[in-house]
Amino acid sequence: MGEERAKAARILDHLEEIIIATLLAAATLLIFVAVAQRYGLSGVASVYRWSRVEDLPWLTSLAKSLFFAIASVRLTWAQELCIFMVVWMAKFGAAYGVRTGIHVGVDILVENLKGTSQRVLIVAGLLAGALFTVIIGTLGAQLVWHIYDTGQTSAVLELPMWLVYLAVPLGSYLMCYRFLEVAWHFWKTGERPHHDPGAVEGIEPVAGSEGAR
Amino acid sequence: MTAAFIFLVLIAFLLVGMPVSIALGLTVLTVLFFLTDVPLDAVALKLFTGIESFELMCVPFFILAGNFMTHGGVAKRMIRFATAMTGHWPGGLGLAAVVACAIFAAVSGSSPATVVAIGSIMIPAMVSRGYPKSFGAGVVASSGALGILIPPSIVMVLYSVATAGMNVKGPNGERVHAASVDDLFMAGVIPGLVLAALLGLTTFWIAWSRGYPKTERQSWSERLAALADCGWGLALIVIVMGGIYGGIFTPTEAAAVSAVYAFIVAVYIYRDLPLSAVPRVLLASASMSAMLLYIITNAVLFSFLLTHEQIPQAIADWLVHQGFGKIAFLAVVNIVLLIAGCFMEPASVTLILAPILFPVAAALGIDPVHFGIIMVVNMEVGMLTPPVGLNLYVASGISRLGLTTMSRAVMPWLLTMLGFLMVVTYWPELSLALPRWLGMM
Repeated sequence: MGEERAKAARILDHLEEIIIATLLAAATLLIFVAVAQRYGLSGVASVYRWSRVEDLPWLTSLAKSLFFAIASVRLTWAQELCIFMVVWMAKFGAAYGVRTGIHVGVDILVENLKGTSQRVLIVAGLLAGALFTVIIGTLGAQLVWHIYDTGQTSAVLELPMWLVYLAVPLGSYLMCYRFLEVAWHFWKTGERPHHDPGAVEGIEPVAGSEGAR
Repeated sequence: MTAAFIFLVLIAFLLVGMPVSIALGLTVLTVLFFLTDVPLDAVALKLFTGIESFELMCVPFFILAGNFMTHGGVAKRMIRFATAMTGHWPGGLGLAAVVACAIFAAVSGSSPATVVAIGSIMIPAMVSRGYPKSFGAGVVASSGALGILIPPSIVMVLYSVATAGMNVKGPNGERVHAASVDDLFMAGVIPGLVLAALLGLTTFWIAWSRGYPKTERQSWSERLAALADCGWGLALIVIVMGGIYGGIFTPTEAAAVSAVYAFIVAVYIYRDLPLSAVPRVLLASASMSAMLLYIITNAVLFSFLLTHEQIPQAIADWLVHQGFGKIAFLAVVNIVLLIAGCFMEPASVTLILAPILFPVAAALGIDPVHFGIIMVVNMEVGMLTPPVGLNLYVASGISRLGLTTMSRAVMPWLLTMLGFLMVVTYWPELSLALPRWLGMM
């Protein structure tokens, strides 16, 4: 039973990581492709004009078919989809951040306390996070419900908006779960995830240097 | 009265050590619960619409591009070039660190990243050449702060987003528009270069008066070879600044293009980053961006509450009524920002204070772009002041010097920066000349 739970938790962890990394990569590529397409089109159009002036029929027809091929892929929706993907990434990434301890605050008071009072303050902070996210999750769920009733769709893609807004309740409840998890773990072991600002950008400590940690 | 309540609740939540985002959000909920009549539905909607702007999407993309650059050996090549140029002067490696930080700042939007990228190579190199470790760590920690002043800059994007769409009036009742990301980026160029020069002068003066070692002069062919070697990295500066200024891209598009470009350079051209490490870079960038976007979401809620209670307007009216002029106001702003910068990191300070201070600045006739640059320079100083100075932490992690030693080590450059802050604050043309000359504003 306990093992099953641990396995399920690991799968959830991995899923979370895969979702946010993939969404970021996809959003970046999407905008890149949209820009490339815009300039690809105008580039091919100039080749077309030039080949007409120079009287090169084979190039003219090539440029023409290329132009229509590129233009047939309409990317007017790229911007909207990019926003939706980044918003989903942000909501789930925030939950992932609780697990890795990236959400920092003003810890000067906490650091200067000792023993039980410090422990209580840290747990209270984590529980406050859980409280906030559960309220927001519920508000978000109500909003999704409300929008589902109106049948509202997005401007360009015409996606149902309730589906898009679903990121708010799902992300918030997941975040709440993470806060409770971290609080429970801290209460039992006295350890909590700590984010090292020096490792923020994911660089390896330089081997053999003073920086090796 | 309401204002006092709001700020007391926020400060109390912050002091008990809650994450900044949670403290902001809970403050809003508490106030809504006890005091006002904002419908809760509006709050839930803001949770989504708060980050639903295409402008804001450049934050994750610039972070991603910066991470690929930090990983991809670009810093190493920039350091080689900088050392070839300045190594033969007194304190040559220190000067090279300043130059390398300034160049790296132009491809990265974050200060701690700049300190990591340059410091992890430069600090050990300086120690092995006989420089005191505190000098090496001090020069890198302070020059790394250039990361948010020289564009691209995450803090500038946050300032622009935090103030965008506010209904703000100038001294004669005319509408004042918030600063755009493009304008802020251009405005950061000259102050960034001037600050780099001043930090270099400080380094030179210390090294010269203490007789620090120099390296042998490099030939021009070696210099050119070093320049060519880091050409792929330098091209990113052209893509971002040229692309935005030339009207080829919006800042967000420029960020996405530079992320893809940085990926190609790091993985396929310089080959310093194995393809298998890419998911980790993506995950680290996504997590960093999500953290920032979560603060933004809650800061948007908070400023929505402030605006609903008309607090910035009330502060502005009160200050103008008291006969506060620009000079006195800017002095107060600097003090407030410097104190806030001691306790919180730049993103949070900018997101919380920009919506409060910007309407007042506008009412006094201070240019929004100039005001943004003032905030950014304050945030740079904030990264070097304990107890919460990100650059100090990062440099102390690399150099293994304690925080107290680190704080003393950056002192000469910190004083230079404070002097520079005065100049930036009271000489708007330093920031505004370039965007004006380019016809952007």
